[in-house]
Amino acid sequence: MAGPAKKRQKREDNRQEGQMPQKKFYRQRAHANPFSDHDLTYPSCPAAMDWSQHFPAFTVAKAVSSTDALDNDHEHENIQQISQQVAVADIGCGFGGLLFALAPKMPKTLILGLEIRTSVTEFVQEKAKALRNQNGDSGLYQNVSCIRANTMKFLPNFFTKGQLEKIFLCFPDPHFKARKHKARIVSTTLASEYAYVMKPGGNVYTITDVEDLHLWMAEHFEAHPSFERVSDEELERDECVQTMRTETEEGKKVERNNGTKYVVVFRRLEDPPWP
Amino acid sequence: MQHPYQCIAAVGSTAQGGTNSHFLAACGHRLVLVDVNDSKIVSEWSSENATTNTAEAPENDDGDRPKKKQKTVPSVKPANIIKLTVSPDQNHAVAVTDDKYVRVFAVAGGKLEEISQRCMPKRPCAIQVLPDNATIICGDKFGDVYSLPLLPVSIEDAPTEAGAVDSAILEADEPAFKPSATNLTVHTQRNRKALEAQMQQKAFSAKKEPLKFDHKLLLGHVSMLTDVTFATRNVDGRERGYIITADRDEHIRVSRGPPQSHIIEGYCLGHTEFVSKVCLIPGTDLLVSGGGENELYVWDWPAFRLKRKIQLAGQVGNTADSNPEALQQADGETVFQAGSSKKDIAVSGLWIVPCPATNAGAKTALVVAIERSPMLLAIPINQLGLPRGQDVSIAKLDLGHAPLDLACIGNIAVVSLDIREEEQSRFQVVQLQEVKEQAVIRSVRDEVEKGLACLDSFATADASLNEKSLDDLLYTVENLRKRRGWGDSAKEGDDGQDGDAGVDDVAED
Repeated sequence: MAGPAKKRQKREDNRQEGQMPQKKFYRQRAHANPFSDHDLTYPSCPAAMDWSQHFPAFTVAKAVSSTDALDNDHEHENIQQISQQVAVADIGCGFGGLLFALAPKMPKTLILGLEIRTSVTEFVQEKAKALRNQNGDSGLYQNVSCIRANTMKFLPNFFTKGQLEKIFLCFPDPHFKARKHKARIVSTTLASEYAYVMKPGGNVYTITDVEDLHLWMAEHFEAHPSFERVSDEELERDECVQTMRTETEEGKKVERNNGTKYVVVFRRLEDPPWP
Repeated sequence: MQHPYQCIAAVGSTAQGGTNSHFLAACGHRLVLVDVNDSKIVSEWSSENATTNTAEAPENDDGDRPKKKQKTVPSVKPANIIKLTVSPDQNHAVAVTDDKYVRVFAVAGGKLEEISQRCMPKRPCAIQVLPDNATIICGDKFGDVYSLPLLPVSIEDAPTEAGAVDSAILEADEPAFKPSATNLTVHTQRNRKALEAQMQQKAFSAKKEPLKFDHKLLLGHVSMLTDVTFATRNVDGRERGYIITADRDEHIRVSRGPPQSHIIEGYCLGHTEFVSKVCLIPGTDLLVSGGGENELYVWDWPAFRLKRKIQLAGQVGNTADSNPEALQQADGETVFQAGSSKKDIAVSGLWIVPCPATNAGAKTALVVAIERSPMLLAIPINQLGLPRGQDVSIAKLDLGHAPLDLACIGNIAVVSLDIREEEQSRFQVVQLQEVKEQAVIRSVRDEVEKGLACLDSFATADASLNEKSLDDLLYTVENLRKRRGWGDSAKEGDDGQDGDAGVDDVAED
């Protein structure tokens, strides 16, 4: 295809190391088919993921005595370890507005954006690099990164059980057509996977400007026994909700358009005992 | 040309506590029940004259889509049977036909009687009757697992004309279409145009027709399911049920059994190609999985830990030396090597088969089939737990033809073979034995073979058969492999339509 090559060329021409990337060179069609195989790279299991590539500032010297290394697969011994796990995931992070707003607010927490579109992922990675360079003194933005992933299929390849404290689902693809509804990022069966990677007490944040999708997400999470809806009062006190409303790229667009933003937050409950 | 038997199952007579006396075999669209002791076909069924017509199958997608597939529908071919299982109490058999129907048969009393047929939203790819003998779990190619009562609760449940009446009522009540997008939600010009078009559209299709029978969605993957199995485990004196699901995207998921099937306990991750079969090893906490790799994976599934892998392609050569059975079959040996040089193998079957030891009582072995490979491999189950690095002894039996399915009648295993030339038996009877920690697998002459002889003459000549359609029916596993690397344009295709069309089908139909 001629189009992409040209685009990539332009991107290269205009790029200067450590400079902020320009969005116009990274635009990509806003929809991807989550059922397609694409050409994804993903670890076979969370232990096989090399997080040090994404969070180099958190790399630790290899701990040889780790029981995990002895106990579990020897194959993953050579993987560089980091001092803490990713705790916040922005699924479908787009151009990363939320990521870069959250990063300085919680500098001790690792925040990861997951995005299915290649160029958009690259943009966020470049931007993270540039921001890290610009903030070398304060050490800000070391805790934020982005990977290309299809989370509907491969969430458990990246995260272990109970790892995440917060998941953000901001302005997901509404998939208006009824026959495309199963491609939506929220479904009762997918909620089980979100519940699996989440720590009990952790929150799933959703925001959209499409009322129908808002009702859909609320309905599906509400129907799932592992989640309870967070009350509106509590929601207003949550700093993350404010950030999500104002800092996401899409949020700003809706603002300009005078659209309505619907927010719902769900808390992950403890698993009940076996019957 | 004759049609091979693609699915087989033994039906025991638990009442007498004796040996299995009946045998079910699916041959294309036909299902036959054989009395093995009398060597007689006692009952026969075909989807051709089944009560449900394929054309009446509920449309699973919304009608707003042009029905491009309709062209193929008029050639009403009877639906082939693609899955077959028997309830633990041996009273019922459940078959899946490739028109997406789950069909339940009563098999007790030596008669085959279809008692229900239910059309699933997607084609089922794995079915099992739970130990309660009252529930079917059914995984489909869209990644969902449903539970259905084995016996439908009422007559209304049958998807007959009642469905049409219902939908007519539905349509009348359908509220006027209101697009879910508004001027405030859409951003691009094209979106705006699409919205306008939607506004002008007067009639809007009815919502997805709900299934007209009792069913429950237990869990779902966003991937094609390849195998589903139900496991039980005793923890602190109480029996716990688990559902283990395997998919095309290398996952093996362990969920709690109903009613808590929404809770995922963990994943057995490590496969680098699709998983096609999982097999629980009785009496242990082991699970063996196989798929598009040269190795079997052995898991300690309650701990989600990989215990070891077992090399299939490489080890067969070694074991040939130590196994006299394999040595005798020099011919077959070359066949296998030709197969293995092709690099990609796909595990198409995993079964547990009795394997009596010479010194100590009843034992079992794992039997492995590799798609299109004319042989079976056998591994005694006590070898599966061996630590990494220690070689596992694998016995091999050359069959001359690719095995399609396997069913056990007592200590005897019946293997259905892909034999298409007429006037040849489509079965081989094999027996396993453990000798000095090693499995020996060999063909035997047995009563059972005589018992099945009546099947040799059944449906031998079929004019409408052709090699291609048979291959499509019998060999589906290798198709699960992802075509990697070719999607470069999709990867960088900033404006391109979303990638892999072949897999898109999963979503579309």
